[in-house]
Amino acid sequence: MFIEPHRTRYWLLHYALLGAFMLFALFPLFWLLKVSLTPNNLLYGEGIRLWPSQATFAHYESVIAHTQFPLFFRNSVIVSSATAALSTLLAAATGYGFSRFEFRGKYWIIGLLLVTQMFPLVMIIAPIFRLLSPLGLTNSLTGLVLVYTAFNVPFASLLMQSFFDAIPKELEEAALLDGAHRFTAFWRIVVPLTLPGLAATLGFVFTAAWSELLFALMLNSSSSVSTFPVGLLAFVSKFSVDFGQMMAAGVLALLPVCFFFAFIQRHLVQGLTAGAVKG
Amino acid sequence: MTRHAARWLLAACLLPLAQAQADITLKLVEVLTSPERTETLKGLVSAFEAQNPGTHVEITSLAWSSAFEKFATMVSAGDSPDVVEMPDRWLSLYVKNGNLESLEPYLAQWSETKGLNDRALEMARAVDRTAYLLPYGLYLRALFYNKILFKQAGIAAPPKTLDEFRADAKKISAIPGKSGYCLRGGPGGLNAWIMFGAAMAGNNVFFSPDGSSTLSGADWIKGTAWMVDLYKEGLAPRDSVNWGFNETVAGFYSGACAMVDQDTDALIAVAERMQPDQYGVAPMPKGPGGKAFPTVGYVGWSIFKSGAHKDLSWKLIKVLNDPAGNLIWIKRVGALPVYKASEKSPIYSSDQLKGWFAELADPDEVPTIMPTNLPGFAYFADSLVVKTGQQALLGQISPEVMNRQWAAYLTKAKLKQVGGK
Amino acid sequence: MNWRRAQLAAEPYCYTLPAVLLICAVILVPLFIGLTYAFHDVRLLDPTSGDFVGLDHFRELRDDPAFWNALRNTLTWTIASVALQFSLGLILALLLNRVFPGRALVQLLVFLPWAIPSFLSGLNWAWLFNPVVGPLPFWLHALNILSAPDNLLSDPRHALWGPIAANVWWGIPFFAITLLAALQSIPADIYEAAAIDGAGPWVRFRSITLPYLAPTMAITILLRTVWIANFADLIVIMTKGGPADSTQILASYIFTQAFQRLDFGYASAIATVLLALLLAYALALLALRSVFVRQR
Repeated sequence: MFIEPHRTRYWLLHYALLGAFMLFALFPLFWLLKVSLTPNNLLYGEGIRLWPSQATFAHYESVIAHTQFPLFFRNSVIVSSATAALSTLLAAATGYGFSRFEFRGKYWIIGLLLVTQMFPLVMIIAPIFRLLSPLGLTNSLTGLVLVYTAFNVPFASLLMQSFFDAIPKELEEAALLDGAHRFTAFWRIVVPLTLPGLAATLGFVFTAAWSELLFALMLNSSSSVSTFPVGLLAFVSKFSVDFGQMMAAGVLALLPVCFFFAFIQRHLVQGLTAGAVKG
Repeated sequence: MTRHAARWLLAACLLPLAQAQADITLKLVEVLTSPERTETLKGLVSAFEAQNPGTHVEITSLAWSSAFEKFATMVSAGDSPDVVEMPDRWLSLYVKNGNLESLEPYLAQWSETKGLNDRALEMARAVDRTAYLLPYGLYLRALFYNKILFKQAGIAAPPKTLDEFRADAKKISAIPGKSGYCLRGGPGGLNAWIMFGAAMAGNNVFFSPDGSSTLSGADWIKGTAWMVDLYKEGLAPRDSVNWGFNETVAGFYSGACAMVDQDTDALIAVAERMQPDQYGVAPMPKGPGGKAFPTVGYVGWSIFKSGAHKDLSWKLIKVLNDPAGNLIWIKRVGALPVYKASEKSPIYSSDQLKGWFAELADPDEVPTIMPTNLPGFAYFADSLVVKTGQQALLGQISPEVMNRQWAAYLTKAKLKQVGGK
Repeated sequence: MNWRRAQLAAEPYCYTLPAVLLICAVILVPLFIGLTYAFHDVRLLDPTSGDFVGLDHFRELRDDPAFWNALRNTLTWTIASVALQFSLGLILALLLNRVFPGRALVQLLVFLPWAIPSFLSGLNWAWLFNPVVGPLPFWLHALNILSAPDNLLSDPRHALWGPIAANVWWGIPFFAITLLAALQSIPADIYEAAAIDGAGPWVRFRSITLPYLAPTMAITILLRTVWIANFADLIVIMTKGGPADSTQILASYIFTQAFQRLDFGYASAIATVLLALLLAYALALLALRSVFVRQR
């Protein structure tokens, strides 16, 4: 974006606002961290202090060594990565189709995609369970990936469509006139220009799959195929909520997401060169 | 063909035969899950597997906070276990749905059946007067009180009557930052409403002979109004209107409020965080009629009709719940015994549990089973009572209006139960 | 029809059909089944239920004050959440659109709230609002927003703002990142040209940024509204719909009806009404969008 960068008053405001956003975003996370480092006996007594008088790593030790969290993390990484990859692939194709073509049934399909987002998941759980059970897809990671992909593709497609809409059609048209296949034009020209959009979609789908609880809870029962949000729920027993361990697990779970996001971040803020547009 | 190869061939032929005889898998579902309980369960289960070679038990542990929804979804989709841990509140639902196997024939032949105390058998037969579950423990409400706060307020002994309770709560609430009673305004608060209501009414009769609910009677209204007044006068924390199990117990062991009514299983959570000399357990305070009506619940093991190995499932239940197995189990889960002999076991002589046994021994403390076998009771307890109770506590409706709504709902439910459908 | 024409006609379907097939199989069929429950007496675990009852459930909900209360709360919840998330997210996206030292790190940090499962986020925020263990009641009291350091979540008049705050915290990254990605696609030289022509920052924003952002804005607002209307997790965790149903929204009411009363028929009827409302909203928004999208 173009603005004179040496206006100090502007930059002061810029950094002040950014600071405020970061504070707002990070304070609850800091609290998460703080509770995860507080020993159980000080949890209620010292509740309001900004840092416990005796920090302890016992909860982390306990989560890593004495629970099945390493397994749950592994499952979550598998499911989330697979879902992100599959969804983005399907979404890119579908979004491109919506963006570039007018075809019979287009608006019906878009409507159907939207409708799938409008029904509370609670109502669909029982029918989906009944659908997947005879196929052996309940209590499996594959079934989960399929369901997650199906639920994420509508949003991802429409998101990708809006990114594709911002890229002028002249680009591919020029290539098509030169005799290229549309798919080549799509893959070689349009997709690289929408890398920020792809990165954003990947990031969102990964995170959505990572933190999804309802389907993971209802469709999978055995711990060998449980994901990490289900593991978190296990800290809430009838008798107590083990906040220390739960927060520790929550903090640990942020790490894979951070890695993934750092990985896609380069593409997210890739600036565009003007040359492609002016041609 | 060499002898070696021949032997291998023979073994290969026999193997499928051997496999066909062995390797039965039983599915066991536990619902009140905690890591310690799962460990204990696994221990009991491996004893069973050792006694019955070729059987394997697959344990599925459901997180309690979502266990009801998950189990209901699984069963309605046809994914049923062989044996399930069945809480009293769920019993009626699964019996009416035709899911559970009657245990009467098994009980008739079992040597340990006569060792069960009467209350246990009564509870086993709560629905249709047929035993659909074998209870493993009773959960009886008693009054936990904070000895330190009591000393601070100058109170010598836990309250014996409702009036004393109120006076004590007032004294403690006068201490800055403390409250007298850890009130449960959120889910699960029904027990307290019923206990105080019944104590005021002097009886625990829920339905008059014509099938209409007694809750709209003037005495029951006095009881619920009494509890609403506790909140209104600030004898319970302001926040408690939303409190569920975890918050009330946490409020107790963090010292925010001095008294809470709870079962034996809360003892586990409290004992982890408080020293034995900091808290005590007393019988529930009595009402003007000289009686108290602590609520009692139970959990047990049930067999699903759809299971393929019902006799083997019964064997599993026997291992889990014969006097020896039962003692191990209830020591872990913190429940009162179902066997007459267990009551004399040394694990029940600790100071804290004395409170419950004093309650059981006192003829004026009448353990009360709530009408959990009514259709729609879960909605009543978890939704209607919570919402109207909170409205009453906040002063949006009067206790009279609230009781009338409860009575109307329960009368309809009773009608449905009696009339079929 | 010659082969090439057929190929061209089939092209869009090749791009879109794989996703559509997957969605139909996994979601639409169960969705349709779920919708049919609204017209039947479906009770979970009741073998005698399942009769067709026509519009009975809809008549029941018309006369159900709890339904209307939940509908009102749903409007407050959705509008407040989306408005705050969108405006704050847009501001953040604009801020992140500059290059400044440490931008990559800042981007990662402000994205983190979205990575927390809603269930954990709800518990965390409930913890923060609890005067026994959290600092917020004291700070809010110090800022004179609360008259006493009480738990906001127990006050029936204001309890809904607790989950809204948690929802806004959780949802800003969504808008920030998607709008940022859209902003990044705007060629820089268009701004240069406009500046050279003498257009000030507000004019540039209005005539360049907004139209380029319009497609993304429309879709993100649409989707987020639909999701939030159906999103009961935070409310169920933080207040369980209370106190006294003051934070009950349609989505949480549906959950109660479905899994406490086990009345899937009635729950589905409420869900159908919600679906109809959201469809109407979506159609309106899409119509608006087609007016604003620049055809270039």
